[in-house]
Parts: sequence; C-alpha cells; structure tokens
Amino acid sequence: MLLCLAFNPGMAKVGGKVIPVKTDSVTKKKPAIVRTDSSKVNIRRFNENALDKYRADKEYQYNDKNIGNELSFWDRFWNWFWRSLFGSLSVNPGLGTFLKYFFLILAVGALIYFVMKLLGMDMGNLLLGNSRKTPLAYTESAENIHEINFDEEIEKAISNHNYRLAVRLLYLRSLKQLSDNGLIQWQPEKTNSAYVYELNNPSVRQSFVSLTRQFEYVWYGGFNIDGAAFGNINQLFQNFKKQLL
Amino acid sequence: MENEFFEQRTDLTKLSTAVEQIKATLATIIVGQHDSIDLLIAGILADGHILIEGVPGVAKTLTAKLIAKTIDARYSRIQFTPDLMPSDILGTSVFNPKTTEFEFKQGPIFGNIILIDEINRAPAKTQSALFEVMEERQLTIDGHRYKMDEPFTVFATQNPVEQEGTYRLPEAQLDRFLFKIEVKYPTLEEEIEILTRQHQQKTTDQLNQVQPLLTAADINELRQQVRALHVEDKILEFTAKIIHETRNSKSLQLGGSPRASLAIVNGAKALAATRGRDFVTPDDIIYVAAPVLRHRIMLTPDKEMEGVTPDEVITQVIQKIEVPR
Repeated sequence: MLLCLAFNPGMAKVGGKVIPVKTDSVTKKKPAIVRTDSSKVNIRRFNENALDKYRADKEYQYNDKNIGNELSFWDRFWNWFWRSLFGSLSVNPGLGTFLKYFFLILAVGALIYFVMKLLGMDMGNLLLGNSRKTPLAYTESAENIHEINFDEEIEKAISNHNYRLAVRLLYLRSLKQLSDNGLIQWQPEKTNSAYVYELNNPSVRQSFVSLTRQFEYVWYGGFNIDGAAFGNINQLFQNFKKQLL
Repeated sequence: MENEFFEQRTDLTKLSTAVEQIKATLATIIVGQHDSIDLLIAGILADGHILIEGVPGVAKTLTAKLIAKTIDARYSRIQFTPDLMPSDILGTSVFNPKTTEFEFKQGPIFGNIILIDEINRAPAKTQSALFEVMEERQLTIDGHRYKMDEPFTVFATQNPVEQEGTYRLPEAQLDRFLFKIEVKYPTLEEEIEILTRQHQQKTTDQLNQVQPLLTAADINELRQQVRALHVEDKILEFTAKIIHETRNSKSLQLGGSPRASLAIVNGAKALAATRGRDFVTPDDIIYVAAPVLRHRIMLTPDKEMEGVTPDEVITQVIQKIEVPR
C-alpha cells in the first residue's frame, strides 16, 4: 500500500482508505499563438566602388603577411623589439645593428650576473682577480725552521742575554730535529701538543713534553729567565739533542 | 702543572682543589662526558652562560643540576614551554590593596645559578626577555633597574633544532652564551657502566648526597683570579686571526663577532687555570674555539646542504692560522 502511494501522486490515504485526489488546474498552460512577420526586409550591400577605391589606396595595403613569411623568427623578434622600443620612428640601419648587439651583450651580461649571484660567486674575484679576503692588519710569519741557522742565532741570543729568544730557538731546533728524523710532520699550524701526540717512542715523548713545558712557560707565560735558569733549561735541550742522534 | 724552574705568579691551589672536587663529585653520578664537564667548569670560572645541546636522554639537565648543586648559591629552574610569557621569567608588578601601590614580584630569573630547561621550546618573544639580563646582568622593568646578584650564570639545555616542537634561538641570544657544549651519546663501555650503576641503585643515593663545595663568594674570588691570568700579545693576535678568518671564510655567511674573540680569550684563561697554569697557550685557544664559535657562526646554504658542520669549518679555519711559536 505504501509503495502504491509513493508512486501515485493522484491518490491519498484518508482514515485507512485510499481515495483519488483532484489535481490543481491553475498551473495548466494556455496554447501559444504564433504570428508571422510580413514586413519587407531591405537587404543592404557594400558599395563595390568604394571598396575598390580603398583597395587602391596604398595606406590600406598591408604586406605584413608576406613579410612575416619571409623573415625568420629571430628577425621577427627584432622587428617587434624595435617597433616596441621606437614606435613608428624610422631607425637608422647602422644604429639599429649597433643597438641590437649592445642590447644582446647587455642581456648576456645580466644573465651571467644573475647566475653568479645565484651561485654565490664573488664578482671581484672574476673581474679584478682580487681575493675576497680583506688585507689583514698583521704580518704573517714566514719563518721556516729548515732555513734558520740555529747555532749562529742561538749564540747571538745568548751573547745578547736574550734568554727567552734563546729558549725559543732551542725549541724550534728540537722540532727541526724531530722533523728531520721523521718523527713528526712539521706544519706551522700544528700546536705543540699535536707534535707530542705524534711521537710514538715513550722516552722521546717524555723528554719532549718536558722541553715543551719549559718553552711554554718562557714563550707564552712571559716568565723572566736569568742566566742560571737558562743554563738548566739549555742542558735539557742538549740532552734531547743527544737522545735523537 | 708544576715546573721546577718557574714559580706560578698566581696561587691556583684553591681553584685546582675546587675543580678536582667538583669533577670527583660529578664522576660518582655522571659517566664519561669529561670534555663537557671541563667546559662547564671553565664556563663558570669565565663568568659566562652555557648552552648545552643534545638529544633527549644524555643527562644534559642532570649534569647542569649537579654542577649547580656543588655551588652554595640561589638556584632556580625554569622549564621553557611554548606558552611561557616574559613576565613568567622576569617577574611582574602586582597591585597591593593595603598600600594601594604596585609591588614588583621577582621572577625565577632572580638567582645566582639559573637552569633553563629546554630553552628552545619557547618562542622568540620569550627569548627576547633574556637579552638584557644575560648580557648586562640587570633588568629594567617599569622604569626600575634591578641588578642581578653575583655570580649570575645561566645554564640552558636544548634539543637539536631539527627535533619536534623546537624554535631556533635568535642569533643575538646565541651570541650571549659563552659556550655551546654538545653532549654526545656515551661509548659502549660508558653505557655498560651507566647500566651497572643503575642496576646497583647507586645513582639515586649519590645524587642526594651531593653537597655544596663552593660558595657564591668563592666563585667571585676564583673569577677574579682567572681574569688576572697572563696572556701574551701573540696569543691575542692568534685569537684575532682565527676570528678574522671566520669572517672571510667562503663556507660561512656569518663569522665570529668581537664578543666571540673576548669569549675565546676568557674561556681559554679559565681553561688554563683548571689545568694549573697562570698563562694561556695556543692549545687553550684552540680547545675553546669550537664551543665558543659553533653557535655564533652561520654556514652558507650550500655548505649546509652538503651536510658540513660548523665544527668542521672551525677546524678548517684554525688550520689556516700559523701557531705563534
């Protein structure tokens, strides 16, 4: 029953009975009346004479189609470029070529610049050959322990009572000896402890640790050293020299 | 380090004893981490703030807490969270109905040893609140200036920035930390030792037994000693060259600041003192260079993408500088 009501809008259930229901007549449409237009149509045509006149006028003779077919894409680009840039002004062919290459170089330069900027490269290095480094306000020591005449320099320092310098030279000579014997790899940027770690022989290492301690007290500690103290320290260095022989 | 030919100009006996005692106390609870502990002690003696970074569970907070426990001073701990406000750290003015006046209630920053746990979990707004107090040891609130008591040291812990829920600290704040100490995983032997101690239930008892070894006045006295240590001009020049080189390195877009130069020298002085010397050597400078610079320098994007670490660049920079000899 419910199924029947669901599919039949013209039926309704009242008090348990199904009765027919009248449909709404207001919504019914009246038939449309079609009328025909009987007025006369005036067909207008172009004036052929006027068209011929315009066709004959040079101002209206566009040859772009032909030009486009003859020129390459590159030439058409430049034509468009000049027209955009100078509008209807006539361009000197010589000047045009110059400007063309000028803008071409400018564009390539800009492209290189942006690529270099993107990669974080330094323009100064490329164009001027300058290092990015700013000049340092200090002088770098170019002292090479293999070029110093130690005996002469040590003698000179001792005779001048410059015992701090003498201890320094004695220490540098010890480093040279270790390097000459292949016990350390001499590099100016290595610290004293780095050289200590390179020594595998325990007795050599022990002696070198002692020398390093004396050198550091004198050279980095700023301790004053007299002739007697220097004599003791010098003895340690002489013993080490013999140990390496 | 004694020398038979020279006598120390500064008596470092008290300092050396205190350092040895602190190390011994920490060694009963913390396994390994010798470099971190050396730097923590040096940081305190150099009057600096210290940032400790490491993955969760490597005893960052425990180490900092223990160090603080060995010093008899006002200690406070602040847990940084994303919703923490500057007034939660510094303090705020509260209206007193009895006096009909506003009274300033001090925040937890007012102390001697401040442990900020998980510092990078708070946003930049909250971090900014620490700028003045960390650098100038003072606070300006409502037109009033509050001086911090000496010693004033901040220990901050953080997880690496890549971890969930962390913010990158502002460069200005990072520059205020003397050292950034990176706590690594323990070795296999150390891990076994940790488990053995835990199994024998030694750790908890010993943690409660830690007693203060130094007072705030002791710390101030030792700091004065450290400040007076001898530094040769050639060592200062060596330091300046390292910092200068960081500014010219092509691997870095941000080099070391003048504050970094000062931090290296001050840190090296403290380290030299803990090693029993009253003067600084190039080894001291090189030892502290990485902890001082690693959080201050900024790698170029390409180096960062290559996976280069700040420590590697610092090593390269130092290797370019001739050691004064």
